[in-house]
Amino acid sequence: MFARILEKINALGCSIWELSETTTRGWEFYFIRHELDQNRVTDVKSFNVTLYRPLEDGFLGSASGEISPSATDSDIEKSLSDIYFQASLVKNPVYQLNDKPLNPGEMKEVDIAEIARNFISAMTNVSETETEDINSYEIFVKENTVHFLNSNGVEYTIRYPSSMIEVIVNARNGDHEIELYRCFRSGTCDKDKLAHDIEKALRYAKDRLITEPTPKLQDMDVIFSTDDAVQIYKYFASKASADMIYSKLSDWTCGKDISENMTGDLITLKAVSSLKNSSYDFPVDEEGAAMKDCTLIKNGRIEKNWGHRRYCQYLGIQDSFVVQNFVVEGGRKSEEEIRSGDYLEVVEYSSFQVNTMGGDVAGEIRLGYLHQNGNVRIVSGGSVSGQMSDVIPTMEFSSETEQYNNAVIPRVTRLKNLKITGVV
Amino acid sequence: MKAPFSAYLDSLSPSLKTLVGILGKSFEYVSILSTDSVGFTISISQRSKSVSGKNMTTERGNVVRVYRNGLYSEYAFNEVPENMELLAESIKNELNRQFDIMAKTGTRIYDTPVLLDEPLELFVEKETQRLPEEEDMKRLVDQFSAMSDCGVHTIPRALDCRISASSTHISKMFISENRFLRQSYVYTEGTCMAYAPSDAGEIKLAYKGVSGCCGPEVLDGLNDVLANMPKTMEEMLSSEKIVPGEYEIITDPGISGLIAHEAFGHGVEMDMFVKNRALGAEYIGKRVGSDLCTMHEGALCEESVTAFVFDDEGTLAGDVTEIDHGILKTGICDALSALRLGTKPTGNGKRESFSHKVYTRMTNTIFDSGENTLEEMIASVKFGYLLEGTESGMEDPKHWGIQCIMSRGYEIKDGVLTGKVVSPVVMTGYVPDLLGGITMASTDREVEGNGGCGKGHKEWVKVADGGPYLKTKARLG
Repeated sequence: MFARILEKINALGCSIWELSETTTRGWEFYFIRHELDQNRVTDVKSFNVTLYRPLEDGFLGSASGEISPSATDSDIEKSLSDIYFQASLVKNPVYQLNDKPLNPGEMKEVDIAEIARNFISAMTNVSETETEDINSYEIFVKENTVHFLNSNGVEYTIRYPSSMIEVIVNARNGDHEIELYRCFRSGTCDKDKLAHDIEKALRYAKDRLITEPTPKLQDMDVIFSTDDAVQIYKYFASKASADMIYSKLSDWTCGKDISENMTGDLITLKAVSSLKNSSYDFPVDEEGAAMKDCTLIKNGRIEKNWGHRRYCQYLGIQDSFVVQNFVVEGGRKSEEEIRSGDYLEVVEYSSFQVNTMGGDVAGEIRLGYLHQNGNVRIVSGGSVSGQMSDVIPTMEFSSETEQYNNAVIPRVTRLKNLKITGVV
Repeated sequence: MKAPFSAYLDSLSPSLKTLVGILGKSFEYVSILSTDSVGFTISISQRSKSVSGKNMTTERGNVVRVYRNGLYSEYAFNEVPENMELLAESIKNELNRQFDIMAKTGTRIYDTPVLLDEPLELFVEKETQRLPEEEDMKRLVDQFSAMSDCGVHTIPRALDCRISASSTHISKMFISENRFLRQSYVYTEGTCMAYAPSDAGEIKLAYKGVSGCCGPEVLDGLNDVLANMPKTMEEMLSSEKIVPGEYEIITDPGISGLIAHEAFGHGVEMDMFVKNRALGAEYIGKRVGSDLCTMHEGALCEESVTAFVFDDEGTLAGDVTEIDHGILKTGICDALSALRLGTKPTGNGKRESFSHKVYTRMTNTIFDSGENTLEEMIASVKFGYLLEGTESGMEDPKHWGIQCIMSRGYEIKDGVLTGKVVSPVVMTGYVPDLLGGITMASTDREVEGNGGCGKGHKEWVKVADGGPYLKTKARLG
């Protein structure tokens, strides 16, 4: 099929193109308590094609589409013809496709049966009690195989695992029952880490039973100690991207400080080509560029922008790629030192969000620990809100770090003077 | 014109009927959902232009559902060999490998009855004026380019103005031993979005969309949307931070829809009842809102982006009255959850795509209209905000918390809009308090279908929601 599509691209007279074939074999298991609700197998293939055509006045047209593996020859010809025509309508400044040869290394073997079995075993062995237990969970394990080729001869085939488990935990006290939601993504199953994270969630669940309404508070420091903090660091990575800069949504260009008067910890954020057990642990990006280890932000100053090849070329950025895995270096203080004085630590939001375009930060508090005057109150309700541009100068983060799938970030992050909307 | 049903699916149906027959020898129930949906996505701004034949609902593939010994299993695939015997063997072999893992791990089955598979044949091609696969893309690119040009010149400080749209011609076919259902329809959505820097250097957004169960003709409505963007952006640029507190609020139809969706949309998805994850199960027949609160759910409620004829399990679309004058009447249900709960499915079994599992999902979730004018509602507010601009929401069916993030609030003091705008606005609260506080509802109502809805943090599907302007009280921050 790959060869048939290539043949028909050539027959169209198209000389600039990218073609990829993605095969995903998935095993899924859905549990209610520890009983199997449903099992599923997926075996899905797709061919994605982007055709380019040089246009007048120095523009380059492009359009893309997906071709089904069940497409007939005439289906393929019709799809490609439509895409090639649409490419003539889309006028963007000229850029070049990747042309550096790749060496993605040996293809990994992925045993989805073994990975799935490990997840099931790990969940069966979680320590539950009569009052804190597992409500339900869904296990997704995939073997992903991607074959990429572009018109410059850049070609790779990679195979990698990706997994996700969604877990709901309950805690109850008589008729009063609460739940917490967790979603863990990874390459394969790290049984010990999974058990540790779920048992931590069960402890939080127990605390949620005894929350009091979040009181009215003045602006307050908020500590992030869960994967919600990844949203904060993704904001930094996004603002350093060529895509955002070219779109005028960011001015974080190379050599600039990300803020003025930074008195807190200065962020250092690195892209890494490989990160163990990340679901993005493969050495090439979707456009055929090799991943590299490089520093994007060093001590609060942009050292290198990154992004899709098109936007990088527009901005004159050399040797770039689409970052999949990143590592944020720890700060100056220990976790214990960061946790000093008065603060609100929220360990469960409804949905914590950092708007990468506008920088607004917001989330409803489902479970928080309010540390005030040496006392700790367990609170729920109300919301946290703020603006990244206001908190960057003074933010602090721990020297200790923790991995959440494709991101390694400080274990605790302290954003100062966020607005807290209390309930009473 | 009719949206024609997929010729590909028609050509495939004899083979798939054969496959159902073969698998039927090994399983107590077998069904297949097949899809062939084509469409486009277009996005035109000053800085970037793109056209693609893909969007979130374009797909071609099949999913087999089988049942044996109390367990439902599924196999999704999109390469169809000629020999159905071989395909049936590979499906059974792969599922057997999973059964082996279950045996090795001592996995118990959540025992579920078998589906009834009542006989039904159905063939529906819905009306549309235009088809996405026949759309004049040059005309559309030219139209959107002109609109983007207009936007950056007329919208204050605009750094860019993006006009985007997607349209899909959906064909779905459901086959079981006793059912043969086919449907085709077109839905389309489009959005104008502009961004500009505030005096403080923060990026402010203004956006609004159009959508419907129709062809790309609905995109002509984007011209009216664009005409209102300069005013919206001016308001966003002059906006201030809100002082956190409890306020009287009036929600515009979009925010009313967001509340409907997050409160008693997710809150009464009955697959959550099966897992004891929804408080709603304990409140059937009880008061959850004021007398002015009546809410409907179902694909039949509105000709929106999710106005299908049958759902992804072959259940006919419905129109459920979830809340009747403040009393919670019922929830919405997929077929397997209905079996487990001993109730009837409501036509709300939906998949993100053919390769994803069915969950109970929303379609159109809509508050009924009331008897007030918006002017009367504003005049009744002592101090509060008129809220507009859906950004996001999050459900909490177990505890009935609610989080809605909105782009702006218009201050009302002593019954008059003061001209002051706050942004962004985070509304949180307890659902029965929010709905119980509804004291006025406008006579008109609108339904919006832009964007997507997830379950937890995954499984994205098209939904629509809306209602009239509603007046209630809420905590804003």
